[in-house]
Amino acid sequence: MSDHVILDRIEELRRQFDAELAQAASLDTCAAVRDRWVGRERGIITGEMKRLRELPREDRPAFGQAANELRNYVERELNAALERFGARARELEIARGRVDVTRPGFPYALGVEHPIKRLQAEIEQVFISLGFRVFDLPEIEKEYYNFDALNMPRSHPARDSQDTFYFDETTLLRTHCSTVQIHAMKVMKPPVRAVSTGKVYRRDPADATHSPMFYQVDVLALDEGITMGDLKGTLEVFLKRIFHPDVRMRFRPGFFPFVEPGAEVDISCIFCFGKGCRICKQSGWIEILGAGMVHPKVLRMSGVDDERYTGFAWGMGIDRVALLKYEVDDIRLFFENDLRFLTQF
Amino acid sequence: MKISVEWLKDYVEIRETPEQLKDDLTMLGLVVESISPFQGEPVLEIEVTSNRPDCLSHVGVARELSALYKRPLKYPPCAEPLAVPVERIPYEIRIKDRDLCPRYTGLVMDGVRIEASPAWLQHRLEAAGMRPLNNIVDITNYVLLELGHPLHAFDFQRLRKGKIVVARARPGQRIITLDGVERELDEDTLLINDGDGPVAIAGVMGGLDSEIKPDTRTILLECAYFNPPSIRRTAKKLGLSTEASYRFERGADWGDTIQAAARTCLLIQQVAGGEIAGSLKDVYPAKIKPVRIGLRRRKAEALLGVTLEDAFVTSTLERLNFKPAPKGKGKWQVTCPSYRADTELEADVIEEIARFYGYQNVPNTLPRYNSQGLASPVFPFENAARRILLGLGYCEAVNLSFAAENEHNQFAPGNGERVALRNPLTEDTQFLRTTLAPGLVKSARRNFNHGIGEVRLFEIGRVYSLDSQGRPLERNTLGIVGSGGFAGCNWRHSQTAYDFFHLKGAVVALLRGMRSEEAEVVPAAGVRWLNPGDAAALIVGGERAGVLGSLHPDLAEEYKLKQPVFLAEIDFEALCRKVFQPVKYEPLPKYPAAERDLSVVLPREVSYGEIRRGILGLGVSQLVSVELLDVYEGESIPAGKVSMTFRFVFLDRRKTLTVDQVQAFSDNILTFLRSSYNAELR
Repeated sequence: MSDHVILDRIEELRRQFDAELAQAASLDTCAAVRDRWVGRERGIITGEMKRLRELPREDRPAFGQAANELRNYVERELNAALERFGARARELEIARGRVDVTRPGFPYALGVEHPIKRLQAEIEQVFISLGFRVFDLPEIEKEYYNFDALNMPRSHPARDSQDTFYFDETTLLRTHCSTVQIHAMKVMKPPVRAVSTGKVYRRDPADATHSPMFYQVDVLALDEGITMGDLKGTLEVFLKRIFHPDVRMRFRPGFFPFVEPGAEVDISCIFCFGKGCRICKQSGWIEILGAGMVHPKVLRMSGVDDERYTGFAWGMGIDRVALLKYEVDDIRLFFENDLRFLTQF
Repeated sequence: MKISVEWLKDYVEIRETPEQLKDDLTMLGLVVESISPFQGEPVLEIEVTSNRPDCLSHVGVARELSALYKRPLKYPPCAEPLAVPVERIPYEIRIKDRDLCPRYTGLVMDGVRIEASPAWLQHRLEAAGMRPLNNIVDITNYVLLELGHPLHAFDFQRLRKGKIVVARARPGQRIITLDGVERELDEDTLLINDGDGPVAIAGVMGGLDSEIKPDTRTILLECAYFNPPSIRRTAKKLGLSTEASYRFERGADWGDTIQAAARTCLLIQQVAGGEIAGSLKDVYPAKIKPVRIGLRRRKAEALLGVTLEDAFVTSTLERLNFKPAPKGKGKWQVTCPSYRADTELEADVIEEIARFYGYQNVPNTLPRYNSQGLASPVFPFENAARRILLGLGYCEAVNLSFAAENEHNQFAPGNGERVALRNPLTEDTQFLRTTLAPGLVKSARRNFNHGIGEVRLFEIGRVYSLDSQGRPLERNTLGIVGSGGFAGCNWRHSQTAYDFFHLKGAVVALLRGMRSEEAEVVPAAGVRWLNPGDAAALIVGGERAGVLGSLHPDLAEEYKLKQPVFLAEIDFEALCRKVFQPVKYEPLPKYPAAERDLSVVLPREVSYGEIRRGILGLGVSQLVSVELLDVYEGESIPAGKVSMTFRFVFLDRRKTLTVDQVQAFSDNILTFLRSSYNAELR
């Protein structure tokens, strides 16, 4: 057999292959063409290669080379075709799987923190960052901690403003968190930086602005060299962090039996920025807390040298802050657990 | 306290507008709540704190303004002399209990004509919110509003034996007071008696019998100083607060009884035409010494954080009528005015300096913060529990700590323990809650009633109990309530009703998230508010830490609940002792795990918990997990039986398990189920 006979045959196979591949219109038919031509057992090319041994020795190299070239060609063309059809198939698959992303997602539920508890945690964090230790204190107190040790003996008129729930002669529900002063001085030596938050109780009938149970935060700093300026500076940091960085503070004389000098603290109205509105009753200021320098009698009763140490203390209603911040018009809403209310926070 | 601006002008020059006065007084500590006009004249409503009774009068407020504006104070004119050469009407004043009445000043006038007060007097009383009665009573009220000192006028003819005796009441003594009420007195009450019996409750209210009547011609004026705690006690006990008691219990001026009497005497002479008939008697058996306080400029500077000039210190105090006597450089002995009930210590005087220095002018500084911030011991636990439950979709609730009697009876612990308040406010505050359950049930019901059926709430708060001596205790507790649909209505998720296993799942997730010790949920009896059909106890680390289940059907009916409610209550303090187990890392397995599912039919009364414990107790160390895939009862399952499908996961940390080994484990388990529970392979 001459060379050109061999080559003609190979050329004929190539034309046949081209024609078949051109007919293939999908990934599946293309795969069938592949199996027919380069299948490992019965593929046409494999068959041709098997004929090699039947040829005269001198013809083998030329035939082998041509057959190899054909196989390479067929494989190359097949791969290109498969890839073409594969890409189109993926496109179709994607098109079939398209989703309406505007439909609602899976209804995972997420709980909502109680607004007062969130504020409480926020307030504690501010004080921790300022080096204060947070005390978790009892709600059931001895009269001594709630009143006497805070310079409010039974005959003190200031007790009238804190109508108290009693269990017996000397045991009561705390009326303020100022008890932290006495507890902290009992367990810590100066420097003392103490804060406590929690529920307090007063015999006030419930209405839009009163609740027999509400939340307070009380603070004590006690050390050598603590001044009223330090009280004002610390308060300013605190109020700006809790309300707004631009909030202004007004500090005026006030009276609480456990501090001297005593102060009332106002913040500039966070709604009208001090211009005057319904919430601040046109005054531009909102009364927010009571503060002062710890009364020397309070220090003495707790065994602290009032010549060497000075301190400041203040107390604030957390509910009051929540009422203001969120413009809630009825304090009772905080204790009704109406989900229409809670889920707004 | 209502302060008329026009009236104030009698004592101090005022050029400021009422608005300016409002700001200035507020910044001095006298909060002006409002300015309201009375017949066109501005009246300031001032909130006077309980430490400043000296400001419960027009002169008192004028004194503050005179010090602030540095303008002289004009004291009102007084009668002079207060003695007559011939005592036309002899009388006697005796103080038996000088501890309660250190000073009693009296004066007798006769020839008074009782009639209506002149217009100017009525106008001023009304501006200050008082109702005019007759000229004598109005004048004593006028002086009360002017000087702050309460006075009383007796009809002298009604005072038997012309005598005033100040003494504690005898037990059971009675008096009819001006308001017509007969009052029984006890020995803590100080009385003004005549020669025979009580004529007034000292410092609180006069007696009806000796009141000024239209035919009164002779009067005895009383201007006294009473012990403040005593008046406070009496007023509280009698539930009787008057303009007089309000001032006496805060502390009247012990030094001005003569001036106040003289001022009243002059007004009576001018208005009611009386004359002195019995000279002024100032009975003062318990002399009160003026308060003297050592003051150091350095101490004031150290407390306030400012630098002060000596001249500023002394001029401020002098303007306020304090008398600083120098005691060396920057040191004084300060004598306080008799009307300042609030000055006792150096700090009190420093406050006066600070008020006039201006609190606003004290520079804001920060102390050396030389300590480490520290959260409360309970914070990490509460925070973890809150985060987990919030993440599971439970909203945080806060209920009032009180319990009404009916709630108490419905939910009380087994021993019926009640934590009662001695002085409840309303029926709803008679007791403190012994469990969080009623609050959570009521919260759920409130939401149901508003059309919200899907309720999931948790509360961390205290519940109360009594110790062995009957003393109240508090314990931090966690409550959970769940009810209604679960995970809303959604196209991707069919609505399932919240049931016991949702609640249990939340509790288990909470424990896992808090890394608790080994926990299990077992049937429980004896929780009266739980349904006995699913009442369960939570055991953590071998200790009972809480209960869970559905609300007892009786209570559900009583509370008219429209849907089942599931409740858990966990003793948070007990839980805290069993959580935050240390993390111990275990190397990741190198070999694959093998899963096997097994469906068996079992008698219905055998609990899953028991089966699981049994399987884990077989000693197959390669068994790393048992899951309950399915529970089925019904067609093809015989009555009294239940089909359970388990999934077992086997893992050997040293080699890949062969199919035969896994089969052997599985057979081992099946043999156990067959022999122990009569199980049949399904």
